[in-house]
Amino acid sequence: MDKKQKKVIVIGGGIAGLTAAWEMARKNIAVDLVEKAGFLGGHAIQYSCKATDECQQCGACSVEAMLKNVVNEPLITVHLGKQVEKVNQNGKFEIFLNACDIADPSDENCTGAYETDPMGCAAIRGFSRHNAIFYDAKGRLDPEKIGKTKKLAVDAIILASGFQPFSAEKKPTYNYGIFDNVITGMDLERCKRAYDGLFCPSDKRVPEKVAFIQCVGSRDERLGNPWCSQACCPYALRSAEALKYKYPDMDITLFYMDIQNTGKDYSEFYKKCQENLNFIRTIPVDMYKTEDDKIQTRFMDDEGKPIEDVFDLVVLSIGITPGADNKQLAEILGIELDKDGFFQASDILSKALTVKQGIFIAGTAQGPKTIDVSMAHAGQAAREAIRFVREAK
Amino acid sequence: MNTETKPTVETEEIIINTDVLVIGGGPTGLKAGAEITESGYKVTLIEKAAAIEAKEKSIEVLTGTCLVDTRGIPGDFTVRLERKEEIIERKVGAVVIATDACYEPLNEDYGLSLADNVLAQSELESALDADAAAFNQKTIAFVTGFYHESNPMALERILKSAIVLQKQGCTVYVYVNNIKVGADGLDLLYKRVRDNGGIYFKLEAPPKITQNEATLTVTSKDPVLRRPMDLSPDLIVVEEAILPDDLNEGLAEILRIHMGPRGLLQKNNVHRFPVSSNREGIFVIGSARQTCGLSAAVTDAKNVALEVENLLGDGKRIVAKDQAVVDRNKCVICLTCYRCCPHGAIYWDNRAIISPMACQGCGICASECPMDAIQLGDFKDEDMQKAVKESVVTNGDAPNIVAFCCQNSAFEAAEMATEFKMMLPAGLRMIKVPCAGKIDLDFIMNAFVEGADGVLIMACHAGNCKSDQGNTYAKWRVADAHRMMTETGFEIERLRFVTLASNMGSEFSSIVLDMEKTLRKLGPSPLK
Repeated sequence: MDKKQKKVIVIGGGIAGLTAAWEMARKNIAVDLVEKAGFLGGHAIQYSCKATDECQQCGACSVEAMLKNVVNEPLITVHLGKQVEKVNQNGKFEIFLNACDIADPSDENCTGAYETDPMGCAAIRGFSRHNAIFYDAKGRLDPEKIGKTKKLAVDAIILASGFQPFSAEKKPTYNYGIFDNVITGMDLERCKRAYDGLFCPSDKRVPEKVAFIQCVGSRDERLGNPWCSQACCPYALRSAEALKYKYPDMDITLFYMDIQNTGKDYSEFYKKCQENLNFIRTIPVDMYKTEDDKIQTRFMDDEGKPIEDVFDLVVLSIGITPGADNKQLAEILGIELDKDGFFQASDILSKALTVKQGIFIAGTAQGPKTIDVSMAHAGQAAREAIRFVREAK
Repeated sequence: MNTETKPTVETEEIIINTDVLVIGGGPTGLKAGAEITESGYKVTLIEKAAAIEAKEKSIEVLTGTCLVDTRGIPGDFTVRLERKEEIIERKVGAVVIATDACYEPLNEDYGLSLADNVLAQSELESALDADAAAFNQKTIAFVTGFYHESNPMALERILKSAIVLQKQGCTVYVYVNNIKVGADGLDLLYKRVRDNGGIYFKLEAPPKITQNEATLTVTSKDPVLRRPMDLSPDLIVVEEAILPDDLNEGLAEILRIHMGPRGLLQKNNVHRFPVSSNREGIFVIGSARQTCGLSAAVTDAKNVALEVENLLGDGKRIVAKDQAVVDRNKCVICLTCYRCCPHGAIYWDNRAIISPMACQGCGICASECPMDAIQLGDFKDEDMQKAVKESVVTNGDAPNIVAFCCQNSAFEAAEMATEFKMMLPAGLRMIKVPCAGKIDLDFIMNAFVEGADGVLIMACHAGNCKSDQGNTYAKWRVADAHRMMTETGFEIERLRFVTLASNMGSEFSSIVLDMEKTLRKLGPSPLK
């Protein structure tokens, strides 16, 4: 490669990493895109379309489109199943990668028709057809396509390492993982994406009565998660609206503290939701299983009257928490974390900058964001990185 | 399985103007101007106000100036500016709209008149800046979010003022419906106000407020004790709505861009995010496109700098020569194309002309043109008709379905379904189209004439069309076809219009399988 060719590493192949990589490639900067999982697109590529008869601007299709851009861009080299082990800085950045443990996917269950196990099949193929190029005919990651280099020299770093969905097991009274019919927002997304619908895990029938519990793992000082995750009201409301459209008889209740704004037209959207869904301002704590596998919960109504209610399916709207590797990455890169454990932006207005010149942050690595906000933030990080490498000698 | 038309790429290099006009001299416009200047482009910034605070040296700033007219195409716009009754004409390659928000106190919602003891949020902020000590030991009630949904920017202003007031020994009450903490750092501010002794009343119904000269009474139902309570604060602070600039509507008309919800200058369409409009070369940022704070405006300024550079580059552009071409012998200047082009890419001299810089290749004009005078390089009518012919096949007893698929949504979903080995009917044939708006009535009818058992028109969801209304045109044409089919006694169930997204592989599979089921019931086409 031309010695003058500028080069940037993007750590993380979720929607922020993809967007940043694509924006830089458009400006003729070579990109090494490093992703620890066996597919690109991160969490967002697993999300379902939330359109009713009209688009609700969830942005899931933007992820699909961006992934297509990236895998077809010759200036972007993808390193899958890799993580950054060490960074040396002497003018340029010298990056050492090592391989992560990725369970070797097996395509055996999916060689025939898709309906044997759509969820498994989708996962094996990286949730999108655009990830298929990384896999061989047997459905295994192709070592020729996922980058062999262990050492990279780059002019700048964009950190787009994303988030970790809150582990619902940390709220034991919900019995997530114990009761079949208590699922998370992430499970809901995957189910809708793979099966074109929603069903109760216990018996595969479409639930008649569904509850969404908001703020699971967010705004929770006892857990040390005081922040609002900013994405859960939008995804819960949009998902609930999409379900209501698909299944008009479905009875959907949202338990909430405060409804946050969704999209540009938030007032109108919220009004529409209020017509279609039940809103109850309280967060139920305990969940019990009835004999027929339904989920019973209890709460006080506005008048202080105790109510017991039974749902076919309970969806926990889990929040955005800092990435599991954040501490380690902060140490390797010599940058700081904020009090919540997200990466600290060094400037209150320019939230893509860090204390270290040449290292920029994009997306939910910096703090909770929806897809569209992550993409805009990644554009900002790309812009800063482009400027930096152009000025660098 | 898929029938695609062959692309023919013939390109030409054109020289474009690389100057940029920025509209709006607030922090967003100034930031964008600075960023674009840094990329090496010459910026002219106009502001309607007589003076603006900051002055960037490298930017030409024209105050007291408004945009009155725009002509031309991206890379070659002629803008006319009005300044003190003088008209200035400029040539620019791109336009960035960065109008600021304006604020309107919502006191009337609460039945209040602004007075010494009823202040709008901005008035409170000015008073606190001037003399915070004057508020010593007072009881202050903020009211927010009851008649209009509030937003994090408004909450941040309330909380910041509350903290200043609490330093003066004030007791702060916040009457609020949904607390909009959905922004970075607001949880901290919210907690600080509470830890300083601030009390939040979270109510679903607005409190009743009586304003009687010097005395104010706020009556609400205590949500915890569940009984009515009265408060007589020394001061009530009313929130302000954040509204788009009054200029927006006029700008949308002059620049021929679509208005979004609530007077914003960007439609609620994910293909426009973050900073694009429906027209190439015209960008919208900050409060012009969304209710946002300063850091989000900075994000937009950085993004628009990227986009301006993508468009203007080094002043030379390679464009596809035959992306969409008007046959000058057939054109009668009826202006149908000019009106239906969602991207403002069409102008005319003595015939219609399509700008290759501005054209997005959706083909809506080509399908709407009553003279059939427009052809798309990649999707010529003869190629499309050939594709239709080739899609009509016999495959045992499997019904033959011809599916016209928008390349942005349905075609992607179809590819996903194929890649993931989902079930698909044996008689399904897909035809890729640039946009559902390019599916002529002729193509649909020809598919039936050739002997197809069923035809699917597969478009993007309403509000998700890259070309804004391509899906609407397709829906209209299906309605026309249905009318014609009814008149001739042909089952209308054989033609179906559906919408889906690029990531809906499983839905694609269910839709086509369902269509196959319908066609099996109907039996083979009588035209076979």
